[in-house]
Amino acid sequence: MPLYIARRLLWAGVVVLIVLLLTYAVFYLLPAGDPALRFAGKQPTPESLALVRERLGLDQPWYEQYGKFVKSFVAGDEFGWPGLGISYNTQIPVIDQVTERAPRTLLLILGAAIIWLVLGVAIGVLSAIRRRTLADRAAMGFVLIGISTPVFWLGLMALFIFWNKLGWTGGTGYIPITEDPGGFFSHMILPWTVLALLFAAIYARMTRNTLLETLGEDYIRTARAKGLSERKVITHHALRASLAPIVTMFGMDIALLVGGAIITESVFNIQGLGWLAIDSTFNQDLPTVIGVVLLGAVAVVIMNLIVDIAYAFIDPRVRYE
Amino acid sequence: MKRRVGLPIVALVAIVALASVLVSAASGRPETKSAKGGTYTVGWESSFGWTDSFDPTGEYLANAFAINTNLLLRGLIGYNHVGGPAGAKIVPDLATKVPKPTNGGKRYTFTLKNGVRWGPPVNRAITSADVKYAVERLARPKNGAQYGFYYPVIKGFDKYAAGKAKSISGVKTPNPKTVIFDLTKPTGDFLMRLGMPAVFPMPQEVAKCFEGKPGAYGRYVIASGPYMIEGSDDLDISSCGAMKPISGYDGQTRLNLVRNPNYRASTDSAKARESNPDRFEFIVNANIDDIYNKIGRGEYDDSYATASPKVFREYTLNASKRKYLHSNSADGTYYITMNLTQPPFDDVHVRKAMNWVLDREAMRRAWGGAVSGVVAEHIIPNSMLANRLAGFHPFKTPGNRGNAAKARAEMRKSKYANSGGVCTAKECKNVLLVTDVRAVDKLTLPIVQAGAAKLGITFAARSVNGAYPVIQTTSKNVPISNRARWFKDFADASTFIGPLFDGRSIIPSGNTNYSLVGLKPGQVDALGVKGTTKGIPSINAMNDKCQKLALGARRTSCFAGIDKVLTQKIVPWIPYMWANTVTIISPNVTKWNFDQNAGFTALAHVAVKS
Repeated sequence: MPLYIARRLLWAGVVVLIVLLLTYAVFYLLPAGDPALRFAGKQPTPESLALVRERLGLDQPWYEQYGKFVKSFVAGDEFGWPGLGISYNTQIPVIDQVTERAPRTLLLILGAAIIWLVLGVAIGVLSAIRRRTLADRAAMGFVLIGISTPVFWLGLMALFIFWNKLGWTGGTGYIPITEDPGGFFSHMILPWTVLALLFAAIYARMTRNTLLETLGEDYIRTARAKGLSERKVITHHALRASLAPIVTMFGMDIALLVGGAIITESVFNIQGLGWLAIDSTFNQDLPTVIGVVLLGAVAVVIMNLIVDIAYAFIDPRVRYE
Repeated sequence: MKRRVGLPIVALVAIVALASVLVSAASGRPETKSAKGGTYTVGWESSFGWTDSFDPTGEYLANAFAINTNLLLRGLIGYNHVGGPAGAKIVPDLATKVPKPTNGGKRYTFTLKNGVRWGPPVNRAITSADVKYAVERLARPKNGAQYGFYYPVIKGFDKYAAGKAKSISGVKTPNPKTVIFDLTKPTGDFLMRLGMPAVFPMPQEVAKCFEGKPGAYGRYVIASGPYMIEGSDDLDISSCGAMKPISGYDGQTRLNLVRNPNYRASTDSAKARESNPDRFEFIVNANIDDIYNKIGRGEYDDSYATASPKVFREYTLNASKRKYLHSNSADGTYYITMNLTQPPFDDVHVRKAMNWVLDREAMRRAWGGAVSGVVAEHIIPNSMLANRLAGFHPFKTPGNRGNAAKARAEMRKSKYANSGGVCTAKECKNVLLVTDVRAVDKLTLPIVQAGAAKLGITFAARSVNGAYPVIQTTSKNVPISNRARWFKDFADASTFIGPLFDGRSIIPSGNTNYSLVGLKPGQVDALGVKGTTKGIPSINAMNDKCQKLALGARRTSCFAGIDKVLTQKIVPWIPYMWANTVTIISPNVTKWNFDQNAGFTALAHVAVKS
């Protein structure tokens, strides 16, 4: 197992570098015009533009910029390790920006993940064991609504009803938990729920389908024949066997949301990594774009690794060397 | 300066038309009840969008000008931060009076008031050395000045910038209270150039730590105005290494200003600054609808944002809410730019025909109707020309809906058209038109296309996200674009004429003279311009003549004369709207006024329930 993890981490490094290379290439290939213009004022002179390009490193070919970035990324820079440079837009070290925004996104994902996992699996199990009953149909109705409803609409409706009209929750914005735990939960409950609903629907459906397949297996019949309670059959045998695809999907969903909960962050004004990604893209702020992409890539790689390790515990047949 | 806030998009023309009628009598007038105390909260759309991270030396965003000149910083001269022509009147700020130039218009001598001090942690008198430092900091190229081109009129500025002098000889400080500016030539708008924050005094002991790092001082700005960044008193300036960013400004999402304990109202004028609230909060909000919800609920008081059509309708159609919507001239022009080197627009008759045919009223409705602005009659807004050209509308048509017959009559004179006044030449087919991806561009593009189609001109429209860098690059040879707009830097027509129409201002990248007026054949190769490059008309000599004149009626009339020539004879644009700034405020605001100079809320005069 340790050798397997080491090998995977090494490949993770290679994947991250390739992702960075592609990001650099796309940034320069997109026809968005000279990024130096964005920071040179309304009426730049050729001299001031040249200075801006020199200051931002934009006077070098993109592959040279990439090389310099990799070097400072690996060795660190004046702002710490990894060396991500400074934002063109705010003059704040990218690592500071990312580390300030990351907890908002990670807490958003964590809360939503707990909700969607619990809700999704519970509904899926209920639906599978009460197949073709009213409970099953209600569960699948929930799935349909959850998958079909656009997140932005759901978010705006939730704000309108629960905050604006009923006053049950806090409004938009983010309050750090260290500053005001009550305010934190009050402001996060709606974004958690809204983000979780789509995934809960998908997980409910997946849990139902895989559980139904598993419940048809011979060993489940054997377990019942041995006199085990239905509850034990489901939780200790059937569910465990059904977890593999859920774990896979869970890992990928968490990883993708690290850079991608843009809509929820915008609607609820959380200003996490998704907001940072969008804002820096529109402002042609390459160092910040790289920082967020990097974090996303690392998240995908690490979650993939965690998922694979988790398999070894879920399925005893899986061994890594 | 760069405008951050645009104007709303309205999908339903009928509702907008009704709203236009209903709102036309209201708005723009100040609310009047002053009350000290409270927090004035401004919701800011998406991101601050600074051009230089709020560092005054380079910061060119209009919103930053508003915050700096109303609240945080003081210059030698300033404005009263009111609406209308009175808002353009220069008044003394740190200086005891507004000097008259001497030495043939080339010398300006200022005396600093007594009792003007820096806020914490600098805590000392503001001196003439602080003014000189700011100007020299601006001149040093590595500090990222974005409107430094206004100051080479100061003697020795260019030599200092080139590293060939130890100081700027044209800025003299014979004692801590006196600043003398010697210019290379009479420059009528020099006082207005001194009204821009880059040349406001700056404390060297703090700013020197950010030498050669454009934007870095933005998180350490020391106040000279009635407010300071919250947490300034905790800033450790014992050494550069000890300094940490001031806590009240996180660089990305929040800027909090509190009263500056070292500000003395006796050194200022209540006409210029009332400083009513105890605190200002500028909060970035990624959800524009949420900004206006919060304004409606009183959680925010104001916004730097673009209202959605729904919000717009709400505040224009609802009688009880209408009083919270203010619409004021922003001294800016929205226009279609035509490149004089690119067929078919290299023919003045085609350009004139396009002016005849465009439905300007439809363009204005696309932006939101009457509350968004007035139909432009010529290039420079009347408010910038003291109404010297009021009524001058050479392409006036009934209801501003365009006139195809007159357009074709004009078109008949062009080399591209047939006797029916329709362009039959291939140069009129699939002409490249660069547009942007904003919703309003999708509304205005079909209007432009429909008008041109009546003349036989068809476009190949290319939408570019952030089209400015494309149309600003001369080698792209863009024939026409509906993306363009321009706002003043200060209330003098020179800020339109020079950058937009002087041939000497044309540069390969970042060019703002999109039409290439005044292009000389010798410039062509360096700019990568292809097409008709000979015989391009110029206003350079007229501009030089007007620039020399002192501020006043003669200067204004001179620039009005250039506007007439451009609008009627050279015709590089189709100006279609003189834009308004639309502001929606909360019921908590008890006093509101418009700052004509900055183009936004007069933060110096607002009051809010505490």
